[in-house]
Amino acid sequence: MALLDQIRIVIPHRLETRSLILLSLALVLFLLPILQVVSDGYNYVLHVLMVIFMYIALASGWNIIGGYAGYTSLGHPVFFALGAYFSGVLLVYRGWSPFWTAPIAGLVATLFGFAFGLVALRTRGPAFVISTIALLLLARLILDNWEWVGGSNGLSLPMIGWPYRLYKIPFYYGMLLTALLAMWVSYRIRHSKLGLFLRAIAMDETKAEVAGINTRMCKVIAFAISAFFAGICGALWGYQQTYLRPTIFLTIGAAADLVLINLVGGRGTVAGPVLGAALRVGLDELVVNQFGSTELNITATGLLMILIVLFFPGGIIGALRERQRLPRLLDWD
Amino acid sequence: MTSGLQILILGLALGGVYALMAIGLSMTYGVMRILNLSHAAFMVLGAYLAYWALQILRIDPLVSILINGPLFFIFGIILYRILFVPLAGRPRYTEATLLLSFGLALSIEGMMGALWTGIYRLANPPYATRSLAFGSFYIPEGQMYATAASLWILTALWGFLQKTRFGRAIRATMQNRTAAQIVGVNVERISALAFGLGMASAGISGSLLSFLFPFFPGKHWQWISILLSLVVLGGMGSLIGTVVGALMLAVASVYVSSILGPTWSPATFYAALFLVLMIRPQGLFGKREV
Repeated sequence: MALLDQIRIVIPHRLETRSLILLSLALVLFLLPILQVVSDGYNYVLHVLMVIFMYIALASGWNIIGGYAGYTSLGHPVFFALGAYFSGVLLVYRGWSPFWTAPIAGLVATLFGFAFGLVALRTRGPAFVISTIALLLLARLILDNWEWVGGSNGLSLPMIGWPYRLYKIPFYYGMLLTALLAMWVSYRIRHSKLGLFLRAIAMDETKAEVAGINTRMCKVIAFAISAFFAGICGALWGYQQTYLRPTIFLTIGAAADLVLINLVGGRGTVAGPVLGAALRVGLDELVVNQFGSTELNITATGLLMILIVLFFPGGIIGALRERQRLPRLLDWD
Repeated sequence: MTSGLQILILGLALGGVYALMAIGLSMTYGVMRILNLSHAAFMVLGAYLAYWALQILRIDPLVSILINGPLFFIFGIILYRILFVPLAGRPRYTEATLLLSFGLALSIEGMMGALWTGIYRLANPPYATRSLAFGSFYIPEGQMYATAASLWILTALWGFLQKTRFGRAIRATMQNRTAAQIVGVNVERISALAFGLGMASAGISGSLLSFLFPFFPGKHWQWISILLSLVVLGGMGSLIGTVVGALMLAVASVYVSSILGPTWSPATFYAALFLVLMIRPQGLFGKREV
């Protein structure tokens, strides 16, 4: 009894309820695949959740450089494709399961991100965005013409050898773990010295540099870490799709998705990309189911982006916080 | 096998057109620090207008310059007033304009796709397939007209910037916005004018693009990265730099195309961009940012 009282004192009441809700949500998500094992018919639910997890991981990763440091990258699809092709090629030519090679794919993406960042992040401001667009188009050009990995026709991967009823489950858990890891890393960076430096860079890079921060190294490290999650997601997603093709990975649309998710949710906040990812996938499922995928989707994406930049530059989280209406449940900063 | 001189001639001709395409982008950045990612989307839109003007009204693309120029100029001023003026004074202004114009580019791409589908188009005026021979060298007739038109417009723009009050005000604002304001330049009006001029150059380039290069709605991403890489090479915000960068990279791309094949000619621009960032991040004529 005495021990229980002590614990109550240590943990503030409000934090307790918030952690409880989030933990029970995580528990539900972990146990959900049992439904599919017990009775078939939940593959669609698992698939949608898996896509949400993937976007959470991708967008939280993007947020580390794009949100905290304020350096918009349109090149993240390249790391996604790099991960997918790395694990895909090892699967096709060596037979190694992407579930084992995915973390290595993430590290390969990190290394590549580090090297690219060293070059592209030498300058401040807009030159970086320009170089990421160029990186995306260059990667597309190379993959389209590299016959060993299938060129523009792409590469077919063998299916995972699980029965149809269960085959979504490993991908579900893979993406769930990646998303949790991304959220945890994003939270830890936000509350670390590096996070502080990155936010200083976003506000005023000259002043940050004068204050003695090695701004270039901070940016490069942030960029490399953010590439890690794109690499892992790519490896898992490619295996799940059973084929790799430059047109599904390397499009500006895919890059726009990550930007938009962060803008909608709230750039530079921990919860923003998570909220944005859930909304993005949820709305997409509704709209595509209702109206089918059309050119107007691109227009809608663009118009949404314009409206947010003009009227809600802080996204949902930022707008709520400004009006002091942000529920504690969503305040993870 | 094309000879070195032939490559140089074709490259310089191409570079003249690239210079016109990029000059507006460079000026908008120089005057207002707006990085307009939708510049090439408007160029492709201009190409569609020129294409349909030829198909339906039988208006030659070279003549449709006279329509596209004023049309895009007015449209640009309206766009500037509606979209970019509200952003003024924001922290991280360039970043905001970049995201805004990114959204704008996507909207235009989607609308072009909905209106005209995703198939490749190429306007086909009578001179598009002819070639002129000068001794042992040849030059496609369409390319020659396009280059001549570009050079003429660039010269007119240069004259405008050097000789008129508005031109001087634009150059002053490019050099130092605050100082220009202090000596009595109406910076807001100058900005709107410069944005309008930038858009007009996009529309005009679109007319030329329509018969020089096949296009489809999503093509503008390739164009914007080509144009941005030559702007970065020249030094962001330097008009002379943009022209020099355009000529250099156009010649280089024709050279690469003759060795590795046309597939790889866009790679010239991306590789050049990375090289510039590695060796001289501020570009050829750029000032190092403090």
